Amino acid sequence: MARSILITLILVLGIASSIDQTKEVHAFSGRLLERGSSGDDVIELQARLQWVGFYNGKIDGIFGYGTYWALRNFQQQYGLDIDGVLGPNTRNTLVKSSQFHRDWVHQQIAKGNQFTHYGNTPLAQQTKAGAGTNGGTGQKNASTVQLPVKYSERDLQLMANAVYGESRGEPYEGQVAVAAVILNRLESPDFPNTISEIIFQPGAFTAVADGQIWLTPNERAKQAVLDAMNGWDPTENALYYFNPATATSKWIWSRPQIKQIGEHIFCY
Amino acid sequence: MRNAVYLLSIAVIALGLYSYEVRTENKQLERTVHAQYTNALTSASETLTTLQTSVNQSLLFQDKSALNKELDNIWRLSDQLRSSISGLPLNREVANNWMKYIGKIGDEAKLVAQTGDYNSWHDKMGVVAGNLKNLSNEWEVATSRYFENDGDFSKWQRTIDSDTEQENFGKIAQNLKSYSETDFPLTASESDWLKKRELKNLEDKEITKEQAIDKLELLIPNIKDASYTVTKSKDTAPYPFYHIQFVKGSRMGYADITVKGGHILSFLSERPVQEDKNMTQQDIKELTNKFMENAGYDDAKIVEFRENHEVYHISAARVYDNAFVYPDGLQFKVSKYSGELLGFNAMEYVQKETIKEQPVNPVDWKQFFRPGTIVEEVKMIYTENELFELRLCYQVIARFDSEFNETFRVVVDAETHDVIKVEYMQ
Repeated sequence: MARSILITLILVLGIASSIDQTKEVHAFSGRLLERGSSGDDVIELQARLQWVGFYNGKIDGIFGYGTYWALRNFQQQYGLDIDGVLGPNTRNTLVKSSQFHRDWVHQQIAKGNQFTHYGNTPLAQQTKAGAGTNGGTGQKNASTVQLPVKYSERDLQLMANAVYGESRGEPYEGQVAVAAVILNRLESPDFPNTISEIIFQPGAFTAVADGQIWLTPNERAKQAVLDAMNGWDPTENALYYFNPATATSKWIWSRPQIKQIGEHIFCY
Repeated sequence: MRNAVYLLSIAVIALGLYSYEVRTENKQLERTVHAQYTNALTSASETLTTLQTSVNQSLLFQDKSALNKELDNIWRLSDQLRSSISGLPLNREVANNWMKYIGKIGDEAKLVAQTGDYNSWHDKMGVVAGNLKNLSNEWEVATSRYFENDGDFSKWQRTIDSDTEQENFGKIAQNLKSYSETDFPLTASESDWLKKRELKNLEDKEITKEQAIDKLELLIPNIKDASYTVTKSKDTAPYPFYHIQFVKGSRMGYADITVKGGHILSFLSERPVQEDKNMTQQDIKELTNKFMENAGYDDAKIVEFRENHEVYHISAARVYDNAFVYPDGLQFKVSKYSGELLGFNAMEYVQKETIKEQPVNPVDWKQFFRPGTIVEEVKMIYTENELFELRLCYQVIARFDSEFNETFRVVVDAETHDVIKVEYMQ
């Protein structure tokens, strides 16, 4: 009787531990993570690396250099191949040696809290409520946008506002084109040196004058800006555009024209 | 009846009060903006006078340290003046020409401070100082009416809306344009850079629009038999190209293809819903490499890879003699879910850079960087310096040995060891 109870107990414990281990091992979605990756898996990677003290940066879901060096250091410490890539071996070792409080972490991100996820301190002591929502020093919401290094998320937001205000009724190509004109001005010696100064230069954009720049941009406008920032320029290097149905300036008509997209003519 | 009159009177009084309040608010806003514009104009005028004095003073010195101090001052003032001008409600042509001219003076000062070519500065600035004096005088005349105490805000609006020939700034705009051309002519490198941008050296045979569509369909079979709208670029465009817009089911987009040679400059497609084929990053990279091979970009390699919300943005560059030629770049946009190519941009790659031989002098990175800096990676690249010259450089990925492992991309000229660029890597 005692033996059968013991065997049952061992079996139950064995199954329970194997279930638990399986859960841990498959905590990530299973895809390979490397520099340039983003999303929930990267949030988990950063949180787990922080739990064991290898990662001190923001848990933002972007696999940048900070995460890369932390992962390499972890691999070195645990005798794994040092390649800065989260493959199956590194993933298993990391899952076994760390914890990830998924709900808690995602809650902090959703609230815009400033937080960390170290294993040696109670989680309740590692969060500052709402510090990030005011745009100050706090943790920003996890980002799913990775920009070329010369642009910031503020640039993206401001340009999306301008593109939406100027061209929300235009085809996608026309929206990328408006964003490209702003970026072409940034490269030109004839225009100010920052995206903000270019957009708010008096008289430069109708959307600033009529207040439409303050409308909330949709996802499509943001995607258009992102494509322009990544190199697309449907205008073929234009610096200006105008609507031929409404333009009254003689000067704008004197500019060498390149092409028309939707309602806008693009020119130098 | 009496009640109706009573209600109507109340409505008229309420409307009157509301209208009065709106007018007062508008007036207040006008006064605030008027004050800010006047302040910006005063600041720009004063900075222009100081810049003019500083350019004159720089002609006084042969002493290196005295001249360098003045050059630094000129560079700072030019930046300040550009910023002030950009905030003024000027006609676009006037503002653009001002910014270009002032920027050129600042760039020249910065360059001479780096190269130590003081003779060229003295040669050039003798003329610039005189022209700047003329411009300063014209500016004073043109802006005098903005300092009149008439409280008239509408004059600012008139300046933005009017064409230059109709208003006081016409002469300044004209002079700025001609001074820019004569005082700062294009250098050979700038001219080469412009030729590349305007595809001036494209000598291939012209193709028809039907051939352009065939070329596009060959490369992007997904859009075969789409409905197309093809227009040609305007006559004033620097190079002729076909602008092809297509629609096929839920896919719609465009491609620009050069008339000479049928080179695809850029392609972008929108397809809102993508089938989830469980693609890995490795799959996406392989697909991109395969596309590059098919498209004839077989001398290019992937250099950067960014996962975004629904797509991967991938950058590649031509490889020449084991060095990445960044100005001959390619960009790709691939769906995360289906691996479909949603865009590519080959504008920079179409007209390849001419690469000149350049000596490579080794660098002792331990001496170059401070202790505590770890050099993680060194690659050879070609990139443009501030003078638009293509230079062979070391690209160093260096990081601090610290809690946050702050990482930098440092580009160092392989011959002169000048630092061309430093970027903080997230």
